[in-house]
Amino acid sequence: MTLDRRDFLKYSALAVAVTSGMPGFLARAAAQAGGTKTLVVIQLTGGNDGLNTLIPYSNGAYYAARPNIAIPKKDVLTLTPDLGMHPSLKPLMGLWDAGHLAWMENVGYPNPNRSHFASMAIWHTADPTQAQAEGWIGRIAEKIGDPFCASNIGGTTPQALRAADFSLPSIDGVDNFQVKLPAGLDGAFQTMLNTSRTGEAAYLQRATRQMLTNTQKVQQNVSKYRPGAKYPEGQFAAQLQDAARLIAAGTGQRVLYVSLGGFDTHAGQRAEQDELLGHLASGLAAFQADLEAQGLADRVVVMGFSEFGRRVAENASAGTDHGKGSVMFAFGKGVKGGIHGDSPDLEDLSDGDIKYRQDFRGVYAAALTRWLNLDARGILGGDFGGPAWLG
Amino acid sequence: MSLQPHTRKLTPEDAAHFLRRTAFGATDAQIRALVGRDAREVAREALSFGMDLAPGNPFDPTQGTRPGAAAQLARGAWLYEMLYGPHPLRERLALTWSNHFVIGTDKVKNAPMLTGYLALLRRHAATTDFAAFALDVARHPAMLRYLDNDQNRKGKPNENFSRELLELFTTGLGTPAQPNYTEQDVHEGARALTGWTYEGGRGNKNFLEEPRFVSRPNLHDTGSKTYLGQSGNLSGEDIVRIAATRPQTAAFVSRKLHRAFVADTPDEGAVAASAETWRRTNGNVRAVLEELLSSEVFYTRRAAIIRSPVEFVVGAVRTLGQPRLDAKQMLNLVQTASKMGQLLLQPDTVKGWDGGREWINDSALLTRMQLAAALTLGAKAPTLEKPPTALALLGTERSPLQAALDGLNPKQRTYLTLISPEFQLA
Repeated sequence: MTLDRRDFLKYSALAVAVTSGMPGFLARAAAQAGGTKTLVVIQLTGGNDGLNTLIPYSNGAYYAARPNIAIPKKDVLTLTPDLGMHPSLKPLMGLWDAGHLAWMENVGYPNPNRSHFASMAIWHTADPTQAQAEGWIGRIAEKIGDPFCASNIGGTTPQALRAADFSLPSIDGVDNFQVKLPAGLDGAFQTMLNTSRTGEAAYLQRATRQMLTNTQKVQQNVSKYRPGAKYPEGQFAAQLQDAARLIAAGTGQRVLYVSLGGFDTHAGQRAEQDELLGHLASGLAAFQADLEAQGLADRVVVMGFSEFGRRVAENASAGTDHGKGSVMFAFGKGVKGGIHGDSPDLEDLSDGDIKYRQDFRGVYAAALTRWLNLDARGILGGDFGGPAWLG
Repeated sequence: MSLQPHTRKLTPEDAAHFLRRTAFGATDAQIRALVGRDAREVAREALSFGMDLAPGNPFDPTQGTRPGAAAQLARGAWLYEMLYGPHPLRERLALTWSNHFVIGTDKVKNAPMLTGYLALLRRHAATTDFAAFALDVARHPAMLRYLDNDQNRKGKPNENFSRELLELFTTGLGTPAQPNYTEQDVHEGARALTGWTYEGGRGNKNFLEEPRFVSRPNLHDTGSKTYLGQSGNLSGEDIVRIAATRPQTAAFVSRKLHRAFVADTPDEGAVAASAETWRRTNGNVRAVLEELLSSEVFYTRRAAIIRSPVEFVVGAVRTLGQPRLDAKQMLNLVQTASKMGQLLLQPDTVKGWDGGREWINDSALLTRMQLAAALTLGAKAPTLEKPPTALALLGTERSPLQAALDGLNPKQRTYLTLISPEFQLA
């Protein structure tokens, strides 16, 4: 990536901000870019099977390719004369009926890679050549000039949130997200932290300082939240509730990131994927209900993806191996509901996989320009057209 | 850059550095015992560990009442071995290999599979034959289960293991311009691996039953295959050997050893030198490690590895002089490491933990602070016979943190040092 002079200045300023607190002009820039809208990104880790998520139930080729794991027509939640949702997604039907749930068909990228890790890195960096280490959300932070403009909810920060020289925060439980120093050590702690350092020690020093700022910001605001919906059990739903708390508290993140893993269904797919999609839908439905109860639903859009879909034909273990393109979903009051894009042609496959028709960066571009009001070109490194899934 | 040997006799700071990297950390006395010794001799000695285990391990996975409990006991047993065992380098290597030949308790729920797999990693920890190691892994029920090769049969191949064998265990992907293998190699490898499965120990009810590897000729595809340029009626053994002995494998796995023992960002010249030794010795990992752990590169690159959560936990306890912890405290430590991003026997994905700066985020830093407080200032903190020295804690005889530590009592000093950037590095 080449940096122009403006980028370079911004980046240098950010590096200063991270090490010594944010200088005034940058804080002003951050406030201007702040906005009140939030994008929540949902990552389905492991390669979610798009064909069993948004089901082409009128297509004989679908049933022919999957004698054991196809979703029987009678179980499909009908959306259109040709497509319907997996029965476990029932909690999302209300959003569909209200016109606020969008499915993007056939999304992928050029020269698809069946490696989980290479493919995930491509979605994270928005760079199919895999030349960049920064994530697309990390680049948002650099553009905005605010290292707290996006956060992951969970234990490990995904590459999407990596910036040139730091990672954006990961919040693993809002309640635990606070520093409690043992009595009498405040001064010594500050002196320890202020010792001059180089190399990886300087990185850790910077990360610790940033953590102190971030935790303060969250704790000052988070008590304002009162839940407006009952969330189901489980870590995914708890993380969505933390996302709702941060939004309600007005901590100011433009992007929040939540992951649900386990979609690598090489064997016994029905049992595994059915359960996972159930967690997904019940958690997301509670999240939406909560936002609505708080009067925040106009300010939040959810966008979900997986690194790839799975092969069209089932394998001998009643599962599916790694495939290529897949579906994305989005919902929220700002979302134009419906099916965006054509369904894959199951009789014209590439090496047993569907051929993608929509570049995922076009879907990202809409979120960046139409929702977050940012310059998508600068973040994605090019112009990408896509479906008009935002109103 | 070649791997110049480190010729100077070990200074106290050299010895502290060696033990931070190879033994999770050590006490002042353990460090002093290596001072004045020859680097090559010290490395050879550390690598010639036996298979004996720490006496008095309170955890026995076969006592688990459910698969999840058995897995938790297996984690506890492993942590105990790291904390108190006689061969910390063997455990450090087993941890490294568990992050290379990854299996996970999300799918492997059988207790003998878990303990058997860990024993395999220990047995091959400093293997003299990487291809034999890879073959033992490929035929272990834990791996057969984890990557679904137990379901891989003639006519209907399951590609999961075949793909990861290349991508993650041997050659690596290569670059988009110069890939190390093709999709066709993945297909053909899967065909050759058909029929490898296991008997016994299936299902949650049988989680204590011992499983056994079997090769089923009737499920094996005996047709001709072409794999990484070699053709013939290739068997599973052939596939694993071909992949494990590729020149790219030498470089790919050597880089992981450098990441584990030298630096989060390794020097590519030094990696190439290890790869050359690897090729010259036909995958003699012990020889590669002996050369590496007594090299100038190893001794020059200080504070270049961010300690993983498990290394942080074990490093703290070993540096504090291995105070006795009760079983519950040890299981808490397993959970604490998990909260910081490293649950033993359960990496997030089959790629394993990326490590380095990936270990560091706000929540992980907070948990490191809480753990340090619990080990030093908490109500149940272990009593220390003597507080650790700067050499033991930081690897330097003069603490760079002196200004901060002045006026604090020994427990407070130890706490503040454990949460410093310097302690978190090796």
